[in-house]
Amino acid sequence: MKDRLKEFYPVFFITIIVFISISLLALTDSVTAEKREWQTEQKVMDMLKDMFPSMSDYTLEDDVYVLYESGAVTGYAYIAEGKGYGGTIDILVGLEDATTIKGISIINHAESPGLGARINEDAYKGQYSNLTITDSEMRFNGGKIDAITGATISSQAVADAVRTTALEKIEELFGKGGDENG
Amino acid sequence: MRTARFWKELTKGIIVSNPVFVLALGLCPSLAVSGNLDNALGMSAGVLFVLLCSNIIISAIRKLVPNMVRIPVYIVIIATFVTIIGLVFQAYVPSLYESLGIYLSLIVVNCIILGRAEAFASRNGIVYSIADALGASIGFMLALVIIAFFRQILGTGGLSIFGFDLFTLPVLGDHPMLFFILPPGAFLVIGLLLALFKHTGVLKE
Repeated sequence: MKDRLKEFYPVFFITIIVFISISLLALTDSVTAEKREWQTEQKVMDMLKDMFPSMSDYTLEDDVYVLYESGAVTGYAYIAEGKGYGGTIDILVGLEDATTIKGISIINHAESPGLGARINEDAYKGQYSNLTITDSEMRFNGGKIDAITGATISSQAVADAVRTTALEKIEELFGKGGDENG
Repeated sequence: MRTARFWKELTKGIIVSNPVFVLALGLCPSLAVSGNLDNALGMSAGVLFVLLCSNIIISAIRKLVPNMVRIPVYIVIIATFVTIIGLVFQAYVPSLYESLGIYLSLIVVNCIILGRAEAFASRNGIVYSIADALGASIGFMLALVIIAFFRQILGTGGLSIFGFDLFTLPVLGDHPMLFFILPPGAFLVIGLLLALFKHTGVLKE
């Protein structure tokens, strides 16, 4: 009986260590959560100002940023989530009107450096400026976005997330007759 | 006697067995984040924290750890501290967090840390393990700062730290050798420094 217990000692020990580790991580996570969220908000604000330099004010309706320039609506922005190769990709999408994308910015991603991480380079992101929403699709699927070599999954994840969420948000914003505005 | 040994364990990591220049350990971060002084110091701070904490914990539990699972246990301990420092950097110094990128999480597999755990902390008391961790981290920091110093001066034509411009060189400032802040420059600078230290023998006892 005593020998049996001894055999289980390593299992028991490593379980304890993992348990302590998880508790420590959960503690750090909850302590820093508020601050990290605030940092992300700052980042999103900076990106919005880059995307819409003339913007002077904004309101948040549900989860869509409505951007104003001296009282008149100049654009919309929202955060889309793509399912990338290494996890969720958070994308800030700016819309000019109900049919055109103003541009995109990558807020967070966990794609492989040198491959999928290149979604954050202008050569890829730039393809989205002034793009018609329905064209946000890989070129081999009939759209206008060129994939990054060796990172088809990441490239497609961004294009799909941008397109599908854009269509959803436009329906929310303009109702079913979204066409009449565009 | 005890103080003498403490100092011996501390200083050995800085010069005689400098992790980067003598043991050639931790070369991946030394190449990757030595493009400027800010990154070099940020990375060193991360390594100092992780190495100090992991050495203390591993030394404290060294008599309890079953031999057959010791490496997984060390990795879990090291990974915990790396994740903690990652969350803290993300919350308080986001710019540093972004420029260190994946190399911050790669501290987990940094051979300096596992090496010190296996070779020192698992066999020695807490006090000496602290000395060992401090020594190895200072040695790592020194190496990173020296590499970053040359790369930043040659690659940007001046030196700045945490946003303060220290100086800008006259000709180099207008025409910096960009090559040196790019990856090939890192190999060149580290290689030349290693050769220089080996040739002059300054790192020998």
